[in-house]
Amino acid sequence: MSFTITCPICGKRDLYEFRFGGEERGARPDYENLTPQNWCDYVHLRTNRPGPQREWWFHRDGCGRWFTVWRDPMTNRETASSEATR
Amino acid sequence: MFEPFGRLWKQAPFRSTYDAVIVGGGLHGLATAYYLAKNHGVRRVAVLEKNHIGYGSAGRNTAIVRANQRTQENIPLYDEGLKMWPQLMDELDFNLMFFNCGNLNLAHSEAAMGALRLQVASAQYLGVRSELLDRKQCKELIPHLNISEDITYPVFGGMYHPPGGTVRHDALVWALAKGASALGVHIHQQTEVTGIAVHRGRVTAVETSRGTIHTLRVLNAAGPWSVLVSAMVDIRLPIHVLPIQAMVTEPLKPFLHHVISSGAYHCYANQSLKGEVVTGAHMDPWISYGTHVTAHYIKHQAEALTELLPCLRGVKFMRIWGGLADMTPDMAPIIDGNDPIEGYYMDCGWGYFGFKSAAVTGKYVAEYMATGRCPKILQPFRLKRYEENRLLGETASPPQYGPWN
Repeated sequence: MSFTITCPICGKRDLYEFRFGGEERGARPDYENLTPQNWCDYVHLRTNRPGPQREWWFHRDGCGRWFTVWRDPMTNRETASSEATR
Repeated sequence: MFEPFGRLWKQAPFRSTYDAVIVGGGLHGLATAYYLAKNHGVRRVAVLEKNHIGYGSAGRNTAIVRANQRTQENIPLYDEGLKMWPQLMDELDFNLMFFNCGNLNLAHSEAAMGALRLQVASAQYLGVRSELLDRKQCKELIPHLNISEDITYPVFGGMYHPPGGTVRHDALVWALAKGASALGVHIHQQTEVTGIAVHRGRVTAVETSRGTIHTLRVLNAAGPWSVLVSAMVDIRLPIHVLPIQAMVTEPLKPFLHHVISSGAYHCYANQSLKGEVVTGAHMDPWISYGTHVTAHYIKHQAEALTELLPCLRGVKFMRIWGGLADMTPDMAPIIDGNDPIEGYYMDCGWGYFGFKSAAVTGKYVAEYMATGRCPKILQPFRLKRYEENRLLGETASPPQYGPWN
């Protein structure tokens, strides 16, 4: 069984070429309203959604691009094509 | 002399009320149920398991026990756990096959040796036997070890921890189930928890695939699934659920008499009492609920093993399997209760360390659930530590041993 990730530049490649960057968790909280709770929420807490989720990947052994993909952790398959981010 | 095999634990009727409900029929859940009944007289306890007991990490780990952790908060818990095995075998009247062979952790650089030096100092300060070895002493301990300079990461030295070893993991599942059932605990397999009812800030019931159970105490001991159980009461956890793989070779004559591990090679190995070399350690660094196995990892493990133990060249792998690990950022568990929901307890986030700690943690979590007060030994592990920035520092070097590598 082999898993793949679709890089916006290099196309569909072996998943082991990439580094996982974690689930998408929104914008970094701004310093104005920073509390220990929302900082902890952003830095440490995770959802680990048991279904398709948007997550970050880095093409470590390839073009060096950070991008997001939709992937389902239950099946380890991409559910939609990846999208390039700026 | 030989009697026909009987059932080790009883089929129990499904009641609508229990004094305590434990979510997860793994080792932590079964141990907690056993000690609730044995030490605290709480006998109306239900253990709910979605699959069958021991299906998850309880039956998938590589059965190594040790107490050479790094921090003063962790060491006493693992140390007590390690000392419990001989006593548990008597108490449960079950052969847990505790094999006190000792663990050797290899260092491949001066820096790694420095990290081990700190670990040995902490262990010795807290009364745990652990010592530093140089390269030649490692070779004396494991004659088949390759200490030449022509491998990817030449061996520099090691840390030897004599009290560690291995325990038969399935036997522990069966023994705890037998012991708990004999004390009146109900083990319900094929019973999935679908919700936890909370009224005015306290737990009132657990919804399951077989109906509602009224209870005032619930323990989340669901291992990697604990994040999803936790989501039922709107508590998010600092856990990454990552897949981990392990494998065994064909049986060989006894040649490896200790558990050997190497951080640089991401590899550990020990020879089981059947003669198979059990090896694992690599963790796929992405979130997954699938217990897949990959060719990438078989290659990685073969390369690492044959560099460290060249006598294994040509030996075949027989089986490979995958499991899930609930990793926290500081490699220490989350044990908490009554915060913010009265009657809701959790014992999760064990990552790699859930097996060796199961019996001792079950003992103290049972005390926590019976009295409502957190035993001193468990106090460092509360969930609030992340908010207070008091992480436990169990990782020697976060960039190398964090969840992503």
